[in-house]
Amino acid sequence: MIRSSRFFLLAITLLGVSLQATDAPTITVRKSDALNVAFTGIGGSDGALASKVVQNDLTLAGWFALVQPGLASFTVSGTFAGGILQGKVVKGAEVVLSKNYSGSPRLAAHQFVDDIVQTLTGHKGIATSTMAFVSNRSGRKEIYLADYDGSNGRQLTHDNALSVSPALTPNGRRIAYTGYQAGYADIYVVDLGTGARVRLVKFPGTNSGARFSPDGNLLACTVSKDGNPELYVVGTGGGARRLTHTRGAESSPAWSPDAAEIIYSCDETGAPQLYRISSSGGRGRLVPTGFGYCTEPSWSPDGQRLAFNVRSGGGFSIAVMDLNGGGARIVAQGENPVWGADSRHVIYSTGGTISLLDVPTGKSVPVISGLGKVTEPTWSR
Amino acid sequence: MRIHTFAILSVTVLLALSGCANKKNKQYAGVDGDYVSGTPLGERADGANFMGANVQRGLYAPVQFAYDSSAVAPDQESKVSSVAEALKGSGKTVIVAGFTDERGTQEYNRSLGEKRALAVREALISRGLKANNVQTVSFGSEMPVDPASNEAAWAKNRRAEFGIVK
Repeated sequence: MIRSSRFFLLAITLLGVSLQATDAPTITVRKSDALNVAFTGIGGSDGALASKVVQNDLTLAGWFALVQPGLASFTVSGTFAGGILQGKVVKGAEVVLSKNYSGSPRLAAHQFVDDIVQTLTGHKGIATSTMAFVSNRSGRKEIYLADYDGSNGRQLTHDNALSVSPALTPNGRRIAYTGYQAGYADIYVVDLGTGARVRLVKFPGTNSGARFSPDGNLLACTVSKDGNPELYVVGTGGGARRLTHTRGAESSPAWSPDAAEIIYSCDETGAPQLYRISSSGGRGRLVPTGFGYCTEPSWSPDGQRLAFNVRSGGGFSIAVMDLNGGGARIVAQGENPVWGADSRHVIYSTGGTISLLDVPTGKSVPVISGLGKVTEPTWSR
Repeated sequence: MRIHTFAILSVTVLLALSGCANKKNKQYAGVDGDYVSGTPLGERADGANFMGANVQRGLYAPVQFAYDSSAVAPDQESKVSSVAEALKGSGKTVIVAGFTDERGTQEYNRSLGEKRALAVREALISRGLKANNVQTVSFGSEMPVDPASNEAAWAKNRRAEFGIVK
């Protein structure tokens, strides 16, 4: 009985979407899916920039429909003066959020919006996330950093060799990358606060593709010192443990949010497929996706979904799959998808730019472009 | 039913975690490494950089590969043999650098390039070179021989190059 009524509701929803689709070529969020929020601007002497940033963050967050105050369930406002943003969210006469933020207008605005997202939806926001990526703009591939919205871009490495495959700790304080300055591929870890750099993984052969565990204390990476590319888990304080024992080439490990498991790519049976293994070792089990060629998995922080790369036709696409069952579906054309803190957005590279995709709505916004050819994006959570 | 499953899951997770904690003092290189699929690499030649001035490149023809493959094809074996013949007994170190075409994602290509380099390394070892004298590096899809995006260019770019440490 329950099941049939659910099916009925689903059918109506699908019908609604398809009718809408004939009216407009782009997918739009129905008002009922999003919270109606009015933003009345950030006042005060330094309010203009903060206002612009809050407006953009609320739009990109995906959870909200920005409407006129008369139609809104919640109203967002604030003032910025003397280096302090006083942010406020009200629901009618009730104050839902009232908090002060210090720092640059940009940072304060991002923090305010992450608090709004947390308060109104219960989800972690993406506005304070740091992004890292590779750009060839200097003529060599180097690692760059930027805010999640593409602002505040800066070059991190000046190795003048080949610096690729960046990975941030979830808190964004440290970064690992693959650097070739010593002649071979080694994994370097940089403390972004102090600038201190350690050449952490430098076994004979190629060491690459590091990804931090959720607590930032371990790195999963590909190491070939045993005569074949295998997955290893390396402690940021030292020590290395081999996870896989196959004839294939392993690559691109993705940690589960509880750090108990890792999903990775391996070409043992021909074209690369995804496998799942305990992070303490054992045997990798195939993750069926329905696609013949899968690489670069990313595990959503809520543990529910996997985003990965598939080869379909001549090009590469981003697929998203529910780990609790259900097939994978293509959500965008591009490479290297990485889930954000909200388990809702994915950043990915496409045509030398980086885009931010809101998975539920399918809406994609370029966030990094015009900075040379940019690839291999990642972001903090 | 659901609660029951959750309880079992929780216990499993706890057991797994405690197992992890006990193993912590064993997390050192080589403890649980084994060598079922290749010959372990020896220490790197100090300061040798495949792209640097202390490595002589281009002396030997690169080994070409089929798409998505790291197998040394029969028609490529003579290239490996000529390198092995030239270096056998010389005590010189050779660095085999693996490359892929531009298709495929970056990190997958780095692994595939390394697997190609390692396959050529095994072929050199089986022809008499000492394992410790053959190093590998993978550049993935970087530094293509031909930057064009067509079958002919891709075929040229799927390769393993030889560099002799001076």
